[in-house]
Amino acid sequence: MSMPSVVLGQRAVRETLRTPDSLVPTLFIPLFFLVVNVGQAARIFPGDDTEFLFGQSYAAFQLPVSLLLAASFGSAALYLVEEIEGGYFDKLRATPISRMSIVMGRLYAEFAKTMVLSAAMIVIAFLFDVHMASGVAGFLVLVLMISLWAVVFSGFLQIIAMKTRSAAATQAGSLIFFPLLFLTPNFVPRPLLTRPMEIAATLNPVTYIMEAARALILEGFQWGEIARGYLVVGLAMALMLTLSVRVVSRYD
Amino acid sequence: MSAEEPSAIRAVALAKTFTGADATVEAVRGVDLDVRRGEIFGFLGPNGAGKSTTVRMLTTLTTITSGSASVAGVDVAADPDGVRHRIGVALQEAGLDPRQTGRELLVLQARLFGMSSPEAAVRAQELLELVELTDAAHRRIKGYSGGMKRRLDLASALVHQPDVLFLDEPTTGLDPASRLTVWDEVRRVNANGTTVFLTTQYLEEADQLCDRIAIIDAGIIVREGTPWALKKELRQRRTLAEDPTLDDVFMDATGRRERVAGEVKEVHA
Repeated sequence: MSMPSVVLGQRAVRETLRTPDSLVPTLFIPLFFLVVNVGQAARIFPGDDTEFLFGQSYAAFQLPVSLLLAASFGSAALYLVEEIEGGYFDKLRATPISRMSIVMGRLYAEFAKTMVLSAAMIVIAFLFDVHMASGVAGFLVLVLMISLWAVVFSGFLQIIAMKTRSAAATQAGSLIFFPLLFLTPNFVPRPLLTRPMEIAATLNPVTYIMEAARALILEGFQWGEIARGYLVVGLAMALMLTLSVRVVSRYD
Repeated sequence: MSAEEPSAIRAVALAKTFTGADATVEAVRGVDLDVRRGEIFGFLGPNGAGKSTTVRMLTTLTTITSGSASVAGVDVAADPDGVRHRIGVALQEAGLDPRQTGRELLVLQARLFGMSSPEAAVRAQELLELVELTDAAHRRIKGYSGGMKRRLDLASALVHQPDVLFLDEPTTGLDPASRLTVWDEVRRVNANGTTVFLTTQYLEEADQLCDRIAIIDAGIIVREGTPWALKKELRQRRTLAEDPTLDDVFMDATGRRERVAGEVKEVHA
């Protein structure tokens, strides 16, 4: 971590704390979906009679969906495009720091914010009779994976912000979370999906993060699934960073 | 100019072409500049003449299509980081982070220029005092007036005591009192040895502040010299009965108006 990235990250954290209104939807919309989805399907899938729940409530199965939804509510790109439009981005580009530091500063803050929010959501989910089959260590592995995914998602939106320099286009880009999140086994495991839906879910990288999260919550340390989840996050992170370097260095 | 004292800014055949999907625009078409160390150099021109694009190239914010430029003796294309270490930049929009306080913004800027936390805090306090914003230092910038934002922007451009300060229309939109305050700051900075490169649409501002000026129109320099020399040249060339103003020089240079015997009449749209 370079010093400029760290001080720019600290600034972004301050910014987040000063705009609590941006945190409210990140926490409450995913919780709302959790409550609604569990309310609609919990009686169809009773915990003591549904094999894929491993004795837990349906809320445990739904929790990863809400965590991934929260991870897609990052504000980094919108703040970045605001700075591009307002001229502060150019002010930062005129300083003798690596231009990638400007991008990374906001992503560090996004990582820290998602760590706190996803941990809070999991703790709230404990009230719905959810528990972590993988224990405290699994809790940390889960929070880390979701937070890294939030960084990836925000990073791609920052790329859109730098390419388009438009708040409207950046917001429109964030709608990609709909197919990414909902073309997944979000209500039932993959084998229970219809064939077309199963194919779509299999092709969707978010499926593997969701399945890794579910494994940590419902089953414990299923290393194969956890490795696949982290592999997807790692590959997406590498792609995002490569594209970010390219876009920020060519920003004219 | 002696070999030991290179120009603060030198540009040779500097050009910038923007290529879009349906058009190619030659924003700057071969600009030559030689700004001496320690002077206040005014860069004038109508809207869209290429002033800001030239500044953006000289400050490393926009790539150079052709030609070359050096700032504080450092080649802009070959060593952009070296240039950034030596320049201060206050752009047209007074680009500031509205959610930070004035003090936080200056401390951050100082940290980005490599100062430690304690050094940055000391430098921020010095600059807040310099631009008379100490009382507002703890307030978020979004609550600042236009004049306060300009002064803070100027302060942030000075945080590392740059050799060359670029000011892109620093007083646009300011009331007369705030404009005078910015002028005073520019003079004070220049008196400490910093070369100032100033773009402006206010000819009175250029007349008051600048040692020399250049007028750019349609991407090329059409006049260059001291305000006094440019006025004298126009008076002699047009055999005017009275001293022309810098406005007259500007209108003459950009071909928009022709002053005849004290009257100004439109000659081009």
